[in-house]
Amino acid sequence: MFQRLGLGHGIGLRATHFARFLEGRPPVDWVEVVTENFMADGGRPIAVLEKVRRDMPVVLHGVSLSIGSVDPLSESYLAGLERLVARIEPAMVTDHLCWGTQRGRYVHDLLPLPYTEESLAHVAGRVAAVQERLGRRILLENPSSYVAFRDSAMTEWEFLSELSRRADCGILLDVNNVYVSARNFGFDPLEYLDGIDAGRVGQFHLAGHSDKGRYLLDTHDEPVPPAVWELYREALRRFGRVPALVEWDDHIPPLEEVVAQSRRAAAIEAEELAPALRRAS
Amino acid sequence: MTLAETQALFHGLVTGDSPPDGTALERCFRGTDELPAAERVAIYRNMYLDRLVDALRETFPNLARFLGEERFAALGQAYLAEHPSEHHDVGRIGRRLAAFLREYPDPERPDLAALAELEWTRNVAFFAPDAPAVGADALAAVGVEGVGRARLCLARSLNVVMLEHDAASLWRRVESGEPADPPAPGPAAVAVWQRDFEVFHCSLPLVEAAALRAAMAGETLDSVCAAFGDRPDPAAEAHAALSSWFDEGWIVGVELG
Repeated sequence: MFQRLGLGHGIGLRATHFARFLEGRPPVDWVEVVTENFMADGGRPIAVLEKVRRDMPVVLHGVSLSIGSVDPLSESYLAGLERLVARIEPAMVTDHLCWGTQRGRYVHDLLPLPYTEESLAHVAGRVAAVQERLGRRILLENPSSYVAFRDSAMTEWEFLSELSRRADCGILLDVNNVYVSARNFGFDPLEYLDGIDAGRVGQFHLAGHSDKGRYLLDTHDEPVPPAVWELYREALRRFGRVPALVEWDDHIPPLEEVVAQSRRAAAIEAEELAPALRRAS
Repeated sequence: MTLAETQALFHGLVTGDSPPDGTALERCFRGTDELPAAERVAIYRNMYLDRLVDALRETFPNLARFLGEERFAALGQAYLAEHPSEHHDVGRIGRRLAAFLREYPDPERPDLAALAELEWTRNVAFFAPDAPAVGADALAAVGVEGVGRARLCLARSLNVVMLEHDAASLWRRVESGEPADPPAPGPAAVAVWQRDFEVFHCSLPLVEAAALRAAMAGETLDSVCAAFGDRPDPAAEAHAALSSWFDEGWIVGVELG
């Protein structure tokens, strides 16, 4: 059965903050790194990561596994991931429910899938293959989407929940992505949360986005907005204590500001879950 | 549509490989009155170009600075149309940019290909594995009689590029915000290396570059020093070059042949 870890609250480790992490441990419980940025054998990024790993848990978060592609899984990618997992011993290995390659060409984007039985069977088989290769479960994140497919026969939350059961993987629930996609397609984000298999949720992501007028763009270049914080509260009420990460990837502010967002997530979790814990005692 | 058909269509629209086909697009994607399907797909198309041009800009900062935002974006888009990414690491997207610039040279700045090659080599050096350097005493340890047969082990980040223009000078001027000189035809040799996670480069005399390349190819010190054979004082020049290689931290070991 899927086991949720009790990691606490983390932030993304980004190059602009490397020096601060080398000076000492910031007040966060764990960090997440973009897997592909640390796959090189040498250079500063992997050296910094090895130092940080001695101080706190690390989560590897990939963007190029391309789990939904009809291309074969990339042997060189899997070998690189395997090496990094052995080197860093991450607390979790995560990627996205998406695809990004076509005949060996990478678009370096998280393209959504049509939510069909064909896709489900295809992705489930590939998740199982990756998990067998790594000897561990992975978690898949719901993407932000701007297009929907006429062929889709189920909702994203139905697809993700069924996939997690069929492939025995975890769900990385990106609360901001739920909000962005809900706005872009006009569904109720609470319906999304209600439809997710709670026992499979192993991590939350929190981030900011940009309002482009007719749609929201998942930019990770802003503080977490009030509507996403509110949805995070709703997620906590449904899923309980879940390791939560604040993502900030563009226009990255000083470390203190990112840490403050993480502390705010911890405070919200305490507010939402404390009454239930008191009742339990 | 099958999953394979859907992905082929979507990929073509995102990369620009397929011209937008309204009928196919409407058959595949669901839009809304407020945001039709074609505009939704265009969001991905625009992000594709922006993301990859940004990745190129990160790898070629001085080429981008020299060309300016608009010209660099145009170069990037033309390049991506011919050389889409074939690796999971977006940082490798620029590995053929120098060759592309040689194939389609800027008529006024034929030296931009050399600048791109220098910046790409710097990028490669940044991610090269590190090893502690050894001092000149490592050479003494092999004994006087063994020196000629000894081979040097060079830092894996070290590379010597032979360029058709003096890109090191152009790089320095752009880096420091000075106006660029006119193109300076080569050949020019540049050594690129990393130390303590910082990347450096320096111009080398062609003779020294040939000697260094021989050392990198695993030649014995006798063969390496033979590169200086036509110089007025071969022994002194070879000694000076070898000493500077040790001083720069390029040598990580000495093996007896």
